[in-house]
Amino acid sequence: MATMRRKNRMLLLGVGLSTASLLLTACGAGSSGDGGGSEAGAGEFSFLTNVENTTIPTELETLAGDQCKTAADAMPLKVDTVPQTNLDQQLQLLAGQDALPLQYAAGNAPALTKELAASGNVLDLEATLTDLGVLDQVEPAAIDTIKALYGGFNVLPYQYNVEGIWYNKQLFADNGIEVPQTWDDFVAAADTLDTSGVTPLSASGEQGWPLTRLISGYLFSDLGKDALQKVADGEAKLTDPEYVEAAAAVADLGQKGYFGEGVGSIDYDTAINQFLNGEAGMLYMGSWVLANFNDEAANQIGLDNIGFMPFPRVEGGAGIENQYAANVGLPMAISEKAYNEQAGEWLKCITENYGSSALANQGSISGFKVNEEVDVDPLTQTVQQTISDTSESVLWFEALFGTQATTASQTNAAPLVTGSMSPEQFMDTVQSALK
Amino acid sequence: MQSVLGDKKALVILLGPALLVYSLVMLVPIFWSMGYTFFSGNAISGFTFAGTDNLTRLFTDPEVRTALSFTVRYAVVITVGQIVMGYLLSLMYVFILKKSSNIIRTLVFFPVVLPTVAVALLFQKMFEIAPQNGLVNSLLNGVGIESVDWFGNASSAFWVIVLMDIWRSMGFYAVLLYAGLVDIPEDMLESARLDGATGWRLIRSIVLPLSMPVLLSSIIFSINGTLKVFDSIVALTNGGPGSSTTPLTLYMFRTSFAFGDYGYGSSIALLLTLLCLIVTIFIFRSSRRDLTKD
Amino acid sequence: MSTQVPARKAPLEAMQRQEPRRSRSRAGKRLAKLPVHLLIALLLVVELYPLLWLVLGSFKTQQEFLNDPVWSLPGSLNFDNYIEAWTTGNIAVFVANSLMATLPSLALIIVLGVAAGFALEVMVWKGRNGVLLIFLTGIMVPGQMILLPLFSAYFNAGLTGTLWPLIITYTATGLPLTVFMMATYFRAVPREVFEASTLDGASIIRSFLSIGFPMVRNAVFTVALVQFFFIWNDLLIALTFANNSDLSTIQVGLLNFTGQFGAVQYGPLFAAICINVFGTLAIYLFLNQRVMKGLAAGSVKG
Repeated sequence: MATMRRKNRMLLLGVGLSTASLLLTACGAGSSGDGGGSEAGAGEFSFLTNVENTTIPTELETLAGDQCKTAADAMPLKVDTVPQTNLDQQLQLLAGQDALPLQYAAGNAPALTKELAASGNVLDLEATLTDLGVLDQVEPAAIDTIKALYGGFNVLPYQYNVEGIWYNKQLFADNGIEVPQTWDDFVAAADTLDTSGVTPLSASGEQGWPLTRLISGYLFSDLGKDALQKVADGEAKLTDPEYVEAAAAVADLGQKGYFGEGVGSIDYDTAINQFLNGEAGMLYMGSWVLANFNDEAANQIGLDNIGFMPFPRVEGGAGIENQYAANVGLPMAISEKAYNEQAGEWLKCITENYGSSALANQGSISGFKVNEEVDVDPLTQTVQQTISDTSESVLWFEALFGTQATTASQTNAAPLVTGSMSPEQFMDTVQSALK
Repeated sequence: MQSVLGDKKALVILLGPALLVYSLVMLVPIFWSMGYTFFSGNAISGFTFAGTDNLTRLFTDPEVRTALSFTVRYAVVITVGQIVMGYLLSLMYVFILKKSSNIIRTLVFFPVVLPTVAVALLFQKMFEIAPQNGLVNSLLNGVGIESVDWFGNASSAFWVIVLMDIWRSMGFYAVLLYAGLVDIPEDMLESARLDGATGWRLIRSIVLPLSMPVLLSSIIFSINGTLKVFDSIVALTNGGPGSSTTPLTLYMFRTSFAFGDYGYGSSIALLLTLLCLIVTIFIFRSSRRDLTKD
Repeated sequence: MSTQVPARKAPLEAMQRQEPRRSRSRAGKRLAKLPVHLLIALLLVVELYPLLWLVLGSFKTQQEFLNDPVWSLPGSLNFDNYIEAWTTGNIAVFVANSLMATLPSLALIIVLGVAAGFALEVMVWKGRNGVLLIFLTGIMVPGQMILLPLFSAYFNAGLTGTLWPLIITYTATGLPLTVFMMATYFRAVPREVFEASTLDGASIIRSFLSIGFPMVRNAVFTVALVQFFFIWNDLLIALTFANNSDLSTIQVGLLNFTGQFGAVQYGPLFAAICINVFGTLAIYLFLNQRVMKGLAAGSVKG
């Protein structure tokens, strides 16, 4: 009897606890339930971005308290974040409810950005910035890159990156290597480094893209700037011999062991660290890596010791001189449906001030004009100079592909360079994922 | 008496809430998504009717074939591994460690508590080859074997996944099965022992039959969990190298949300559901038969 | 007298018979115990090393992670990573969110699931096998499939931006397994128990509350434990519905230590994992004790 009563009490206690916790949640949920990231609140400058990017939100918050105070008072900034891997899913879900925020990261692949634009979710910035009278505050090169990537001036150039090959000046000098001009020079340089016990090229096979960038670099240099546009338009196939040649050239680097061991499991940090501790002689990377180079604890080879060169020419190729690939980072679009006059105030202010503000506070190079004198280190200056000297740039391997082909390409890059997949198989896999 | 056990009002009170929540939150969305099987497109650009295109595509898509074969191989190997390891552990708890098993049980259970992200990181580091050799490669080097690029090819990556998932879940199944073994009445074991049954014979003739119900629910539970594996593979290999360790769930998720083809994604989910259904009905049938025999 | 003799003789004989066997088996046992001890030692190393590795990792700097071997010790015992994890990582908020999503769903799963399991296994009515099968389908359907319809349902119901979508979804996805397992456990309880109680005039709901629920209490703890770790470790549902950094659960929060282009802040990530792990470990030890107490109090079937 006694135990029975105790059991009943236990049960009651359990039920009571669960009711209490329900109430607790109700209160807790209520207090944080202010509409969240979904509804673009009328009076809010809502901004959905990937959690990995802290530069843009931080800088916008700085602007909100300074140059853009008027705009921010009328329409306070509200930042929401999602992990980048989940961004595409959230965009699908939010767009399906017509609930995209005012400003948002518009997808991991340009194909998704274009799809969003086609469904009327993306504001035409060319017309809007012209109306606001600030179109001249954006670097023309950045606008060109955006148009080539996204089919129109649809996203803001919060970043403007050039990609090329960074090299260790000391290691080059020690081994008597001149900065390679052609692909053959490049392979010879890698060979010299390899013989002297240095990993020639540091690359993250886990990420995949640092490897496929080499394929596209070769393609653009060999076949010309429109090499991949032709593939996207269906005029050429990746399985054509001249395309497979590029994959074979990169696979060959892997066969010779120029990426070091276990390239497939090298992650982004490791790749950069191998370059910065002097284990690797060269690194293909975009100019965003300057932030790592400027980290004195990480950079053991010294800032002065790093050089930057364009992608080597393939001899007899149809490519452009000084070939750099360019991009604007993860694209940030403005929702056409949520745009209004107050948002225009914000947009105008960002366009006028973001360039110098981001460079001064974060050392981040954007596609907005720098309107104030900013002190930067010599390497950043070199990169800035490179950007302003570059009139023509190329895209990256997957830029014009759909997400499916992008995934196929980036996940199979490591098998390609480790030799478990032949160049023909690789190109065939990517080609068949192209729709 | 029967009328009390069949009291309709009581039935509504006891079963109603669960059935209602379950139907609204799971069944309706399931049928809703099934409907998309006949459409192509996604929530951004809208859906268009596609007839049975998606279903026929299932049969010709080589990616589906790879994913299906991986899923089945994974489910079989992991289920066998989880159940066998879990059962051996639970036998050890009951018959060897007896009362002192508490601390061991807790320790072996411990990996279940770890977040998937942490377990995957651990295994990546243990099996890494670059920039330094991980623990496993160092041990191999110690006995004169060259380092292996574990995540570099499909079959070694598969075995690392297997090892990871068995490691993290065997303690869980051990506790689950232990609960079943403890319920076996001591006097039945004692009388069998007096009959001279010891060791394996005791286990085979008494313990195994008596723990059958909990063993069978563990198997159903395990096979359905492993057929739908998602988190641990995403965190460890993200389906690589290439797409060689991509299960159906990951392919479905990518197709629906990254590739923007929700209809085809739903078709892949349908395939997976059918697979689970067939396997479960098979096990369910055999478990029912076993119970009526008792 | 005649009955006394064998009564005296029997234990003696038994002793004589058992004595040599017992000593043999004791020596044998000691020998047999050796591999068992080795096995247990190995098991402990395999289970404990990662814990040690995690704790050590939480004190390492980024440079130590990238340049030193995996098993090296951290250079110093500083708590910078923990401070980093707690402040910029927002761990406290994530833990609170996880608790506020997990506990109510767990309570609902148990209350609804046990009642339904009882109704499906103990009560007598037409079509109960069919309903059980319907619940069973829920175990089989991949969770990825219900995300899109649920998202629009929650959105239109105005629940987006709260933790309710998580609680509701966790409850519904946890029910099938719970119902199924509880039905299995109720099957093990002799029907006569309930029939007797209804003969005494108790209503079925009363006999569920006073007899059914207490009888499967151990099973309830086991199921609760299982469901707790399912929900606590869930990433997919949390990522989909808690799409706002104020609502992130701990698992989603762990992804925050990844930077752009794939960079990872290992030290703070490990610190955050340690905070998470030791928190859950405490909950587990508490629950575990309850489960063990329940088991010691007498088993269901015995």
